[in-house]
Amino acid sequence: MIEKIKPSRSEKIIFSFVIILAIFSFGSFFLIKNKCFFVKNYNPQKMIFNDPKNIAILNITCGNVIIKLYPDISPESVKRFKKLVRSNAYDDIAFHRVIKGTLVQAGDLEFGKKGSIDYGKIGTGKSGLGTINSEIDTPFSFDRGSVGLVRAQNYNTEDSQFFILLRDEPLYESEYTPIGKVIYGLEALEKIKYLDKSQYVLRPDFINSLRMLIN
Amino acid sequence: MYLIRVILISLFIFSQAQADTIYNLIKIPNLEIYNIKSQNKLRYLYAERPFTLGIKKNINCYNSEKNILDQKYQIIKRNLDKYSKEFLKKINLKYIVMCEDLSISKINTAGIPDHVTKTLILDIKFNENYFERVIHHEVFHIINDSFKELFNEVVWSNFNVKEFRYAECSTCTNKLGLNTNKSTKGFFTEYSESTPSEDMAEVFSHLMVGVKLNNVDPILEKKIQFIKTNLLKIDKNFIL
Repeated sequence: MIEKIKPSRSEKIIFSFVIILAIFSFGSFFLIKNKCFFVKNYNPQKMIFNDPKNIAILNITCGNVIIKLYPDISPESVKRFKKLVRSNAYDDIAFHRVIKGTLVQAGDLEFGKKGSIDYGKIGTGKSGLGTINSEIDTPFSFDRGSVGLVRAQNYNTEDSQFFILLRDEPLYESEYTPIGKVIYGLEALEKIKYLDKSQYVLRPDFINSLRMLIN
Repeated sequence: MYLIRVILISLFIFSQAQADTIYNLIKIPNLEIYNIKSQNKLRYLYAERPFTLGIKKNINCYNSEKNILDQKYQIIKRNLDKYSKEFLKKINLKYIVMCEDLSISKINTAGIPDHVTKTLILDIKFNENYFERVIHHEVFHIINDSFKELFNEVVWSNFNVKEFRYAECSTCTNKLGLNTNKSTKGFFTEYSESTPSEDMAEVFSHLMVGVKLNNVDPILEKKIQFIKTNLLKIDKNFIL
């Protein structure tokens, strides 16, 4: 006859500790693996916008980022941006320059395409449409969520690259051309891959798609 | 040796990619914002720590005590407020960097203008007797650099008497005096006699601070008209 042995008190404590540790480890692993766990995903189709023809939807790993464009402030730049969006040019393009808590930059159509990234030249690529003039005369507050066109050292060299600010940058006013502001989904941008030691990202995150709400 | 290696590796591992917005814009390190909400859109920055510039690292400037900075900022702003937003945009001046003991190759200087980066570095500890005037003097160098074709040095030199010759450069001469001459004889100061561009800058700065112009000699009168006429070509609303 097998005698049932009751676990001692200390054995019960150890057993409970092991169970809790297992739950904690599993939970942590799940949270670490899924960086988008706490990021809310916005569905633009279920939302109402005042000016839907100037709403762009940037879809990235952690969900949708909804951008309101400002053609009244920068007409030519917004026109260029919309043209590229409507041709799906930004799909699979890398966020090649990311500074934690400061900005994310993407839009190198020549050297930033998924599958054919050129790390030696990324950030210098062109769209093939030529450069456009800077539009920096209208007052604009470059606060968190602002979207602007990237330029080279000189003005009037804007093309396809854009940046989105993750913090206020008041000095950017009249330096960079603003094209819009993120109205929903900024937290998804904060999850984009960055490196601690470099602004340029090795094996970067990519834009899944960038579309106008109304084509 | 091992310890040094560990320290170096630690620095490499723990140093983060920081966003230094000011450095990215004007290529001067260790600056902080003092005030960027001025009427004419000038952005005032100050040295939080000493900085070194130039390919040969020959430009140096140092941080100031806050009370000196606050005091000198008021003077600088009062003088630069004389320029409109539109004029500053045309001449390419946007950033004013305030620091002290500014020097180029160990020679002290009141300011360093750079119209390419739209920046004017000012030594806030420069001689108080001339401080306000040198602000405008340095602004003129920005104007001159942005509109070289207007401020022709040959035309300017011909205003002087035939026998007069400028020095090869502003530091190639001992004529460094900044006191306003009682008897002008074509030049506002001794320093005016150094080079044509310094002469122009001296005329401009005297006009900007409103020095009383009694008994101006004919040569200086021509120089004043030259400066005024060309400034109006840049901005028809510019008032001297």
